[in-house]
Amino acid sequence: MMSKRSLKKAISKTMSLVIGLIIVIAVVAGVLIYLTSQPPLTTTTPTTTTKPTIEKVKIGIIEPLTGRYAVFGQEAVDAARLLVDIINNELGGVSSLGGAKLELYVEDAGTSPDSAALAAERLISNYRPHVILGAYISRLTAAVAEVTEREKIPLVMDALVDWLTEKGWNYVFRLAPRASTHGKAAVDFVLEMAKKTNMTIRTVVVLHEDSIFGTTVANGVRSQLIAKGVIPNETITYAYTITDFGPIISKIRDLNPDVIFSVPYFSDGILFAKALQASGIKVKFIAGAGGCGYTDPDSIREAGEAVEYFTNTYSYNPARQTEWNKRIVQAFQQKYGKLPTEAAGIIFYSLMFVYEGLEKAGQMFPEDPLNPDNLRAAFLSLDLNDSNSIAAQLYPTGRVKLASNGENLHGGTAILQVIGGQPKVVWPEAEEGVTPVFPRP
Amino acid sequence: MLPSLNLLLQSILDGIFLGFLYSIMALGLSLVFGVMGIINFAHGDFIMLGSYLVWILANSLRSDPSLMSVITVPLFFVIGAAIYTIIIRPVLGKEPLIQIAVTVGVGYVLQNLALMTFRAEPRAVQISYLNFYVDLGLVSVHAAKLVSAFLSFLIVLGVHYLLTKTWVGLAIRATAYDREVASLMGINVGKIFLLVFGLGIALTGLAASLWMTFGQADPYIGSSFGLLTWVIIALGGLGGVSGLLASSIIVGIIQSLTMTLVSPTVSLAIPYVVFIVVLWFRPQGLFGKG
Repeated sequence: MMSKRSLKKAISKTMSLVIGLIIVIAVVAGVLIYLTSQPPLTTTTPTTTTKPTIEKVKIGIIEPLTGRYAVFGQEAVDAARLLVDIINNELGGVSSLGGAKLELYVEDAGTSPDSAALAAERLISNYRPHVILGAYISRLTAAVAEVTEREKIPLVMDALVDWLTEKGWNYVFRLAPRASTHGKAAVDFVLEMAKKTNMTIRTVVVLHEDSIFGTTVANGVRSQLIAKGVIPNETITYAYTITDFGPIISKIRDLNPDVIFSVPYFSDGILFAKALQASGIKVKFIAGAGGCGYTDPDSIREAGEAVEYFTNTYSYNPARQTEWNKRIVQAFQQKYGKLPTEAAGIIFYSLMFVYEGLEKAGQMFPEDPLNPDNLRAAFLSLDLNDSNSIAAQLYPTGRVKLASNGENLHGGTAILQVIGGQPKVVWPEAEEGVTPVFPRP
Repeated sequence: MLPSLNLLLQSILDGIFLGFLYSIMALGLSLVFGVMGIINFAHGDFIMLGSYLVWILANSLRSDPSLMSVITVPLFFVIGAAIYTIIIRPVLGKEPLIQIAVTVGVGYVLQNLALMTFRAEPRAVQISYLNFYVDLGLVSVHAAKLVSAFLSFLIVLGVHYLLTKTWVGLAIRATAYDREVASLMGINVGKIFLLVFGLGIALTGLAASLWMTFGQADPYIGSSFGLLTWVIIALGGLGGVSGLLASSIIVGIIQSLTMTLVSPTVSLAIPYVVFIVVLWFRPQGLFGKG
């Protein structure tokens, strides 16, 4: 019989052997795994690389869904839902990413920069989206951009203030025409129509709400007027929370302008139009700028005849006769029962641009297409026009090419006029069967 | 550049009309504070609620908003009485902080109800028979504002008459001076409070009807009106109905002149600056007894 001591010795010897064997197996297995996971040194084509499996691409959207600006935010989110549905079901997802579907995550930006920044933090910490869109109101968008830039998440902005692309941020992109472009377009339209109709413009008033948005658009109006040799007689600013336009109407009566260039937000536009109508003052033309108020279906519903023949510049042209624009406008009208205007239109082409950018990223960087730097490179490499892109078909100028600061080099607007209680596109090309009414009868 | 005489006169006239409307907005708040000692921070939100109600009624009945006061005034009296019974009465005599929290809470509930129901879209009445101007040569008069001002003046006079010439008014004033002594004199203080709070809210229903003849309903107008009416009351120094009327017109004229001659943006801040300056020199307000 084996003694206790010799038994212990035998066990410890066996244990040592087993442990040694395990270590050897582990080392060999480790070396083998390492070697098989490395790409062959001679491979030059991406087709032999291991593609990561991507089932979904997370798209965040931060818009003001409560408070004063909710009317815009809600329309933007409605548009995003429709587009995601079309991309996933009609276009079959992102084909270069193996048909990965887009998944939308919505966050409320609220009404202040603080609430917008918190919304961005919340969205990122909960879902870590690959791309974010938002936030319509420029100061909210700036707050969101501070967060997305820090987190290196591409932000496709639907806000217009010029300086949003001038801060040296790397991960911001904007297709929509900048605010000053809107101001310039309003002036170009009015001067072109005045020339066509032999109308002399003697006095001009610029009326705008005093936020950074209103000020930037109005600066665009003033700069273009001065460039064209028309000096505005007066610039009137007001807070968009204004409740009574009476004294401003008195001032306008005193100034007796031929043309008023106006940059409202929304409710202020309705108040102004109604007050001007009641005053009986005959202003030959009221040209809105900035895409907010006067010609959108909600403003027309509330202001009624008071906004008849008012115009406004838009970052989107719902009447553009391209295959995809017609399809998406029809789908939006069917789903939501109204014409898509500024907020929805910007999301249409911005989100479609993201989709086309994802396709490109899948082709350019198959090993890591969703890396923010790769996405940026893919976005900047796109040169889109009506024949090669759905996003371009949705864009007013039919061209999209981003500069290194993320700004669209081909930014442009359309002008809508309320004719017979309906918004109609009248410039740069009037929609079929429509003639701009200038001056107002 | 100096303003023209027309513009100056027009601005003053606009300010006077606006001031009369402010007086009717502030009257209910002043009554509730003067008699019950309650600071109703939801006062402006009741005007907002009334504006939406007027919008619904005037558009459904295809009628002028001012006529909707026939419905809003009694309805808001009932709503006021109900809110007094359910929410205000339990906090009477409690710490001012509790009373403030309760009325602020009511205001938030109303504002969010409006946001949920109507979203953030402003609503304007399509038909207003008074939405036109009458040209008087040097100045033009907006019919809606003229009628609003006139009706506001009549109602302010009516409330003044009620308070000074009737037994109910005497009971209200007695309660305001000393509720315990008033109670000992046989006045039912609880009923007086109910009446005053109901009347205060009914006046917001009237103000909303007049406002909607040229303004629009918006979930946030309550905040603007709420703060402004407090400034009017404090500026007047609880100097009775005439003090309230005077301070309303002063605020209206200051706002209108600043809007026309300086900048509409500045005009929102100027009444508050004047308010601070006045209280610096006369802490009891312009018409209050020192």
